[in-house]
Amino acid sequence: MSRVEVDRDRCVGSGACEALAPMVFEVDDNGVLAVLRAQPAADEVPDVRDAVQACPTRALALAE
Amino acid sequence: MSVDAVAGPPQLEGIDLSDRDFWVRPPAERHAVFDLLRRESPFAFFAEPEVPLLAPGPGYHAVTRYADLDAISSQPTVFCSGQGAVSITDIPADLNEFYGSLISMDDPRHAKIRRIVSKVFTPRMLEQLVGSVQQIAEDVMDAARRKADAGDGAIDVVADIAAPIPLRVICDMMGIPDEDRALILAMSNIVLSGGDPELVENQDDPLTAFLEAGMALAGVMERLAAERLERPTDDLTTALVRSEVDGERLTHSEIASFFILLLVAGNETTRNAITHGVLALSEHPEQRARWIADPSLTRTAVEEIVRWASPITWMRRTATQDGELNGFRFRVGDKFLLFYAAANRDPAVFADPHVFDLARDPNPHVGFGGHGPHFCLGAHLARREIAVTFRTLFDRLPDLEVTGEPDRLRSSFVNGIKRLPARLTGAR
Repeated sequence: MSRVEVDRDRCVGSGACEALAPMVFEVDDNGVLAVLRAQPAADEVPDVRDAVQACPTRALALAE
Repeated sequence: MSVDAVAGPPQLEGIDLSDRDFWVRPPAERHAVFDLLRRESPFAFFAEPEVPLLAPGPGYHAVTRYADLDAISSQPTVFCSGQGAVSITDIPADLNEFYGSLISMDDPRHAKIRRIVSKVFTPRMLEQLVGSVQQIAEDVMDAARRKADAGDGAIDVVADIAAPIPLRVICDMMGIPDEDRALILAMSNIVLSGGDPELVENQDDPLTAFLEAGMALAGVMERLAAERLERPTDDLTTALVRSEVDGERLTHSEIASFFILLLVAGNETTRNAITHGVLALSEHPEQRARWIADPSLTRTAVEEIVRWASPITWMRRTATQDGELNGFRFRVGDKFLLFYAAANRDPAVFADPHVFDLARDPNPHVGFGGHGPHFCLGAHLARREIAVTFRTLFDRLPDLEVTGEPDRLRSSFVNGIKRLPARLTGAR
C-alpha cells in the first residue's frame, strides 16, 4: 500500500499537487496542505506520482 | 538597429551582463551569449551596474546552467533571499523589504506570510475565477476590435490586449476601484522599469522615480485598507488587512509592500508572457495553426510560452556561508544571479532548446522559479490567464497580424516588451 508523506517544513501550500491530484490533496482555507487520502487508491497513484514530481518545494514523497 | 551592429559570434571577454544596452539586443543575440557563458564560464563574474546614489557592491556570479540554478534555489538556507532578491546592488534593508516583500524574505517569516495569501491562489480558488477571466478577455478583445474598426485596423498588442487582461484580473482580485487602475498600471511600470529612459525621465536619479511610484501605490492601498477594515469583503485586500501572523496583525508597511508585490507581479509578468507568446506565434505560424486546430495542446503550449518568454530574467541569492557547488567554491556574501532565461535554454535539460515547440513535454522550465520556497505564488493564475487569453484570441481576433518589431524594455530584470504593433486585417 502506498502512502503519501508531506515534509511540513518545506511545504508552502503552492497547490501544484492539488492541480494534478485533487482527490488526494487540498490546500485548505488556512493555506495549509491537507492530505485527503494518505493511502491513495491504486488508480489515483499515477496522479499522486505526478504531484510528487511537480511539487515546487520537493515537500512530497510517495512511500511504495 | 543599425546594419553595422550585426554581431559575429560573441567572445567571452566582450560580455558584460551589467551593460543595460545588452538587454535590448535581439533575443537571438542574448541567447548566444547565454549559451557561451553556460558552456565556458557557468559562474561568470561581473561587476555590478552603477546605480546613482547607491554604493557599488562586490559584483556577482551569473548562473546560467539549469542544474546549478536549481541547486541554489532549493537550498534557501545556504543561498538566502533576505539580503535582496530583486536588486543586484544592496539597497537599505527597509527599502529591500518594502519593495521585495516576500521575495526578499527568508523562512520562517516568509512561509508564515506566504500562507496568508497562498490559499487565495490555489487551483480550487482559481477555478471560481475562470468565468471572470474569460469575461475579461472577451471584453478586452472586443474593445481592441472596436479600436481597430474605428481606425485603420492598427492596434498595439501590449496596450490593447496583454496589459489590460492581467491588470483587470489582479485589480478585481484585490478590489481596486476602476478609477485607480490607470495609476496602478503606470506606477507598476515604473517600479519594474529597470530605469528605462521612456519610463524614468530623470536618468540621474532613477531611485527617486522608483520611490515615488511605490509611495503612490502605497497611497491607493492605505485608502483601500482603511475601507476594508471597516467593511470587509471577500477580496485579497481584506484578507491582508485582517490576517495575523503569530497572533500579530501585519504591520502597515508589511501590508503596503505585500500589496505592491501582488500588483506589480500580477501585472508585469503575465503581460510580457502574453506579448512574447503573440510574437512567437507570429514568428512560428505553423505552431499557431496547430494550436488553433487542437485545443488540447493548451496545457503544454502555456508552459512553452512561459519557458520561451522567461518574463523574469533573474532573481538574486546571497551565500550565507562558504561552500562548494558542483565544483565551484564560493564564499559567504557571494552574490548569485539566477538567470532563468539561460537555464530555460540549457541543452542538458531541453532537447533543441532554441526551438519553440508548443507540444514540448516534459517541460520542467524555471520560468516560475526553480525548486524552493520562493516558487511563483501566482503560477496557477498566470497559467489560467495565458490559456484563456490565447483561446479567446484565436476565437475573437483570428485576423490579428503583427506588423512591426517589438519595442523592448531596457531592463535586465524584466524581459519586457513596451509595444508590439499589429493590425486586425478583417480577414476570417
